[in-house]
Amino acid sequence: MSDDIRLEVKHLCKSFGITKAVNDVSFNVRKGTIHALIGENGSGKSTLTNMLTGIYSIDSGEFILDGKKIHPKNQVEANNEGVSIIVQELGTLSGLTVAENIFLGHEDMFVKAGIKNTAAMNRKATELLKKYGFDNIKANKMVDEYNFEDRKLVEIIKATYFHPKVVVIDETTTALSQEGREELYKHMYRIREEGGSVIFISHDLQEVLEMSDDITILRDGQYIDTIRACDVVEEQLKTLMVGREVTGAYYRNDYGDKISDEVVLSVKDVTVPGELKNINFELHKGEILGFGGLSESGMHEIGKAVFGASYDREGEVRLEDGTTINDIPTAIKHSIAYTSKDRDNESVVMNMSIRDNICLPSLNMLGNKLHLQSDRRNKKFANKFAKDISVKMVNTDQFVSQLSGGNKQKVVLARWIGKDSDIVVLDSPTRGIDIKVKQDIYQLMDQMRKNGKSIIMISEELMELIGMCDRIIIMKDGKISGQINRSEEVNEHSLIEMMV
Amino acid sequence: MEKVKAIAPLGGMKKENMMSMIRAILPVVGLVLVFLLFNTLTAGRMTMNMSLVLSQVYVIMISAMGVFFIMTMGGLDFSQGSILGISSIVVCYLSQYGVVIAILGGIAAGAIIGMINAYFYVYRKIKSFIVTICTMFLFRGFIKYLTTNAPVSGSATLINYDSTALKLTCTIIILVCGFVAFRYTRFGTGLRAIGAGEKAAMFAGIRTDRMKFWVYVLSGAITGFAAFINVIKVGSVTSSGGNQLETQILIALVLGGMPISGGAKVRFENIIVGSLLYIVLNSGLTMMGFSTQMLQLIEGVVFLVFVAIFADRESLSVIK
Repeated sequence: MSDDIRLEVKHLCKSFGITKAVNDVSFNVRKGTIHALIGENGSGKSTLTNMLTGIYSIDSGEFILDGKKIHPKNQVEANNEGVSIIVQELGTLSGLTVAENIFLGHEDMFVKAGIKNTAAMNRKATELLKKYGFDNIKANKMVDEYNFEDRKLVEIIKATYFHPKVVVIDETTTALSQEGREELYKHMYRIREEGGSVIFISHDLQEVLEMSDDITILRDGQYIDTIRACDVVEEQLKTLMVGREVTGAYYRNDYGDKISDEVVLSVKDVTVPGELKNINFELHKGEILGFGGLSESGMHEIGKAVFGASYDREGEVRLEDGTTINDIPTAIKHSIAYTSKDRDNESVVMNMSIRDNICLPSLNMLGNKLHLQSDRRNKKFANKFAKDISVKMVNTDQFVSQLSGGNKQKVVLARWIGKDSDIVVLDSPTRGIDIKVKQDIYQLMDQMRKNGKSIIMISEELMELIGMCDRIIIMKDGKISGQINRSEEVNEHSLIEMMV
Repeated sequence: MEKVKAIAPLGGMKKENMMSMIRAILPVVGLVLVFLLFNTLTAGRMTMNMSLVLSQVYVIMISAMGVFFIMTMGGLDFSQGSILGISSIVVCYLSQYGVVIAILGGIAAGAIIGMINAYFYVYRKIKSFIVTICTMFLFRGFIKYLTTNAPVSGSATLINYDSTALKLTCTIIILVCGFVAFRYTRFGTGLRAIGAGEKAAMFAGIRTDRMKFWVYVLSGAITGFAAFINVIKVGSVTSSGGNQLETQILIALVLGGMPISGGAKVRFENIIVGSLLYIVLNSGLTMMGFSTQMLQLIEGVVFLVFVAIFADRESLSVIK
């Protein structure tokens, strides 16, 4: 570690319409360090790194890398300057092979007299895969054949094989399993040892403290402070991020409450080919039932199966009154709500207003006697529920695509609270969401539970399952591998044992 | 230096706003300007022949409404011309049994072709523009076959119905129904939701497949009705009956400011302004004495310019 400066960020600004996403931010990244960038949703972390890697244009200000001003116009130019990024969502392109993905934009290396030498490219890729230790991935196979985790590994190679000076890792760890995280950490350390710098964005503050050397905090697009990780504790970081003391319980703090005997939903012998095998469970009134496991364990399919959204499902999902749920409209009609892990595709209609998004499932109820909708009534409805859980927005006519991840999730929740659903299925409800909104969501769940609603919570974060659920069911290979009741003694290790 | 920094973001914002302003008012301003321009150029002949100019607008405007619904969902329909042709032939055949039967027959014929489109699009999962291009050729073949020896002509009594009042009333009734359905019912919101994000719409409880299916049927039926308006005007159907209606509709909608990818940004006014603008442009150029070839060329350029302005580049990938 040295005090030599690798990257200077100077008076950086970026606006979207009237929103100042990044407002006069300046800080330095040292050579050979892991530099964390933290802040709430919409604090400007991703906007900043997107400018660094050429995804967004810079309004004003500059990046100085090793004393030289850089101004990349796209990711390839950024790579050539020695800057690369691993993005939050899928960053590999379907329909291309693993090798083609790794060398995307840099095919020139293998071109002679205008002809691309695919064999040489595959050879080089295989070499890299071997060097990184990802032997199960084959260079000449389509990237589509691999799951999310493996595709992330391909991205790690893509972003680091050319020994970049700065690598940005944007919120990648939340989407990975423990194993995938370890793999990523390993490469972060390697880059640091080689003298490169890592800009690390994460909402997991423990992870941030563990991994990074320096931490820069942003709030509402403004620079707050840069500190050494060894000098702070988690509580201080939270305070710096939110701008006020974060008090009160994060999770539920009650133990030993008796769960009602009333069963509101029973799942019998549910099988989804390739996903679930013979799943049986019951959901009680006023209960938070958690599902945990590795991301490929089939737990995410549970939510879809209950909501009637699974393809080719066998078995039965039955409500208290005997109704069986086989499709989404029936599920919604009988007061079941679902928020997907894939928020942008399956939860919010991106290119539509907040108002329409909130009103969609409630349109029946909102119509008058002639089933006609009124703009005024719908606006009032959307406004009420968006305000209730404080969605950060200009007004309800704003398009959802302009909101940050946390606010999108709030719009989805507002939609189902508006529908007054009794059974709420939440798949990864706090994925990629900052602590303040997380806390809001936990409080909301607790409130719903107390109001007699039943919640199924599917999550890869074991701590939030332990903190929030009355019962936790652990999944493995599409089957239920164990169940744990709420108690203070439960810890992560007991759950992990059942998962692997 | 400091000053430049402060101004730069503001400048960006203004440009963005100006673009959306242009998109909102260009069609209406364009309509007025084009109308005034041609009036001047033709020395007022356009206003004098208003009913003649308008007589061409009804069929386009009515069928454009069905296509408008389809395009709102992010789909396309190139088979409209063939639907109009087939339905017109059916109307002609049935007109000897009475006008009501003829109208219903036309609607049914249109609906059936719509159903064929819908079946392949929704349940066989083929892209809508591929399906409808196929059915366009298929039914154009039928039309050519049925009109091999002579044009199919309707009963002579049909001509009696050819009055501006009737055509205008029909058009207005259909547009009002469409407007209410689009703007004030679940149907309209559902259409826009499908266009803006089909999967998410499905997860919000919209029966997307069923909706897509019936919108294609509906669009066919609407054009089937337009066939009646068409027949009372022209009296008979030749092998080119309804030819190129699909392109005319597409141009009209885009001229009206409709984003080609559909979604939440479409407005019902797009149909009306667009159809009028297209017809005024078309008749104006004809009155000026441009040849058909020249006409196509000019319209092609105008079309391209409008598509370039109205294309919603963020969501272009969702065309189905």
